[in-house]
Amino acid sequence: MKSATAFILTLIFLLPAFAMETPLEKQTPLATVFKPSRSPLISFRIQFLTGSVDDPKGKEGLAALTAAIISQGGTKHKSYDEIVEAFYPMATSFSAQTDKEMTTFVGNTHVDNLDKYYALVREMMFEPGFRDEDFKRLREDALNYLKTTLRNNNDEELGKERLYNLIYAGHPYESNTTGRVSSLEKLTIADVRAFYAKHYTQASVVLGLSGNFTPKFEAAFLADFQKLPMGKKIARRIPAPSSTPGTKIDIVERETGSTAISLGFPLGANRKSPDYPALALVASYFGQHRSSSSYLYGKIREKRGLNYGDYAYVEYFPSGMYQFEPDPNLARSQQIFQIWIRPVEPQNAHFALRAALFEFDKLVRDGLSKQDFEATRDFLSKYVNILTQTQSSELGYALDSRYYGMGDYNTYMKAALAKLTLADVNRAIKKYLGSKPMTIVMVTKDAEGLRSEITSGKTSPIKYQAAPSQEILDEDKIIQDYKINVKPADVTITPVERVFQ
Amino acid sequence: MKFVILFLLLFHLLVLGTTAQSRKVFPYNYTIDDLPNGLRLVVVPTDYPNLVALYTVVQAGSRNEVEKGKSGYAHFFEHLMFRGSENYPPGMFDKVMQKAGASSNAYTSDDRTVYHATFAKEDLEAILKMDADRFQHLKYTEDQFKTEAGAVLGEYNKNFSNPFTKLEEVMRETAYKTHTYSHTTLGYEADIRDFPNQYAYSWEFYNRFYRPEYTTIVVVGQVKQADVLAMVKKYFSDWKRGDYTARIPSEPAQDKPRTAHIDWASPTLPLVTVSYRSPAYSDTKKDKAALDLLSIIAFGENSDIYQKLVLEEQKVDFVAAGSEDHVDPELFAVYSRVKKQEDVDYVRDEILKTYKHYTEVLIPQKKLDETRMRLRYGFAMAMNSNDAIASAIAPYINLRRTPETANKLFDLIENLTPADIRDAARQYFTENNQTIVTLSYKKQGGGE
Repeated sequence: MKSATAFILTLIFLLPAFAMETPLEKQTPLATVFKPSRSPLISFRIQFLTGSVDDPKGKEGLAALTAAIISQGGTKHKSYDEIVEAFYPMATSFSAQTDKEMTTFVGNTHVDNLDKYYALVREMMFEPGFRDEDFKRLREDALNYLKTTLRNNNDEELGKERLYNLIYAGHPYESNTTGRVSSLEKLTIADVRAFYAKHYTQASVVLGLSGNFTPKFEAAFLADFQKLPMGKKIARRIPAPSSTPGTKIDIVERETGSTAISLGFPLGANRKSPDYPALALVASYFGQHRSSSSYLYGKIREKRGLNYGDYAYVEYFPSGMYQFEPDPNLARSQQIFQIWIRPVEPQNAHFALRAALFEFDKLVRDGLSKQDFEATRDFLSKYVNILTQTQSSELGYALDSRYYGMGDYNTYMKAALAKLTLADVNRAIKKYLGSKPMTIVMVTKDAEGLRSEITSGKTSPIKYQAAPSQEILDEDKIIQDYKINVKPADVTITPVERVFQ
Repeated sequence: MKFVILFLLLFHLLVLGTTAQSRKVFPYNYTIDDLPNGLRLVVVPTDYPNLVALYTVVQAGSRNEVEKGKSGYAHFFEHLMFRGSENYPPGMFDKVMQKAGASSNAYTSDDRTVYHATFAKEDLEAILKMDADRFQHLKYTEDQFKTEAGAVLGEYNKNFSNPFTKLEEVMRETAYKTHTYSHTTLGYEADIRDFPNQYAYSWEFYNRFYRPEYTTIVVVGQVKQADVLAMVKKYFSDWKRGDYTARIPSEPAQDKPRTAHIDWASPTLPLVTVSYRSPAYSDTKKDKAALDLLSIIAFGENSDIYQKLVLEEQKVDFVAAGSEDHVDPELFAVYSRVKKQEDVDYVRDEILKTYKHYTEVLIPQKKLDETRMRLRYGFAMAMNSNDAIASAIAPYINLRRTPETANKLFDLIENLTPADIRDAARQYFTENNQTIVTLSYKKQGGGE
């Protein structure tokens, strides 16, 4: 199935990691994305172009923990409880989101509370307390997130994060952004201080602000951030992950009642790629998030009733089980193509995996029809407005556009979709999705049983409560014996306690 | 302009302290129109451009599942509403939604089922027309019905890797013995596995509750009321009123405290929940509103117990109270996740002490005022798009069929005194009203 050409193509992307640091010697204007408007809501997105790729080896999780201590810890003058107390009547907060290459602090306030609110933000940002009690609590929260929440309370997110760990093995993206259990256990408050001093600089900050703020506020806001250390401008080049040919399956074993499935491979394109609109259209057609109009959902859930939903992505989208639209400010140089098959009954797991691979291979082979192309293009041209329907998300998308070096997202997407042709889309499918080494993660109880089913290649017929259409039954006959091209040695079992270790 | 209303709204907030009569937490000039068949239309014109939010609220949720073995049916039925109708065969629904660039879905809770979609405003008529067809002429075969039952089982499976789902299930069945709040909206696994055998019942459910007198359509966006009303009249006027009223068994008074424990088969941190029977939603009686405020003051992120258990002693990674607005008397529940097994009893006792404390002391006036302000700011700032506005009022529409109830509720809150809050705590946080449920890891076949 997978050709040698694809392997070679994958190898071409294997460039060494590259990060050139240029010291910022003299005062240069800070990077800003200001969107003044008449809104009495003021939205902040204060971004630092640093993230888990800057975690030193053995200190994975440091970037995220540093951001957590700033946003959920005390300052030099106030305990965290006093900060919460001050935010309380304003019904607001100041939160942090850390990803691979960026850390973004997000907050909203009414303009009449702006001075009070910003005074707190300024103190948190510039005079963090780095208190031992906050460090202890937040490091434990991070550990419990990995050990309890991810490993044991949410099979779907577990499967997805494990997929990223495997695809990016040996790559700067490898670890979960929260870190690893073993590295978090060793982190110290001194590590946090050092990370803050090195990475929270004028060179790395991008200030995002929207709403009805005054020029005076804007000037004070800028002046404050000009007091940060200059730092070094970092020109990063994050390489494509290395991969060996062939399908890899990792079965995570844990005590659970169903089987969660996630699969994918490095995409070789991100939002700034000229082919992004085509790839976004393909993902939407094949598996628009939480939408019943997409192809895969129709086949696996609607016609067969095997699970709750089936989706596809060309950009990282964590916590998809809790939200309809992705959060902005998770921009990455490298993205994967991902298929998410929501948990199935264990006896249907082998079939469901075969169905996903069968449909994916069909997508690569046949591409989209003219009708599907047009319908998806029309959908996306309108749907982009939903992504930016709040002031804060609009600001977030503007920051992402700055990161990728492109114009306003909605304007760009509408124009690009209008120009897009079916041939562009089908060419992009062949180029980016064709013959890729697929990594598959399955979370289930009887891992050995599932492994032997998959490696034996035996038929996996499915029993329905109700007969689906003849068309589906005919397709099932192909799917139940669909060959999964995987060597037995490439089907591994991982006890859950080893994941994120 | 887009922001004028929001500005007025927030301006109102600031003068609240002095002009108690005029301020409205829901500041939009909405309209209400009732069709002769009982269907209600609420239109909320805004200046947020491009998109329109359409929420259809059906006053039927898992509370309405009165027959034994039928838990989870309202939610299952929500799924069936996407399986096609007389004039829109399976797949057509998706095509119409796709054409509108819609984000569309639905949810079910104890008291309601809500169908929601946000899409390009020029597509409003096409979507209303399609909705009218599925609400009046739903159509699915027994095979399609059984297939959808599989999807619901999938939903159950995905939720049950989370121990909170089980905790909630056991807390309800322990606290309630006759009322339908004794089961979760998702329903019992055994009932869900039996769904495929209940095709005939599904039509009964549809005929009972998918009726105009149970339904309110909410439209929020840059629209004209007259245009929307004309569309709704055009497509929904033939919908026949029903004649069914569910007899929900009332829950007898609890006569002693109750407890339950769950052994969880996979490693997890211990969970503890302490709940009390509490009142139904009301915008006229003070007790429920008083407890809503208390839930924030006593157990919120700024509370003494949070400071002690989460920040200082660090024995739990969170503690929080949940008390939603319900049609019937509900539970005021406090949840916590404990870091070490040996601290579970201590944490439970700290929660109990906190409940008791507020039956004895008066909350400082300053704290009460700040909490009221927080609630108002929170409500106002959350309404930052057409979708968010519709989403914020959908629960109130379900409770009283008008957004005005939110204004009345906030007026009631404005008049609460520290004594009202203490009295409500005294009335409800009694030992006989109490249910405690714990969950901890126990390896199957013995062990930890």
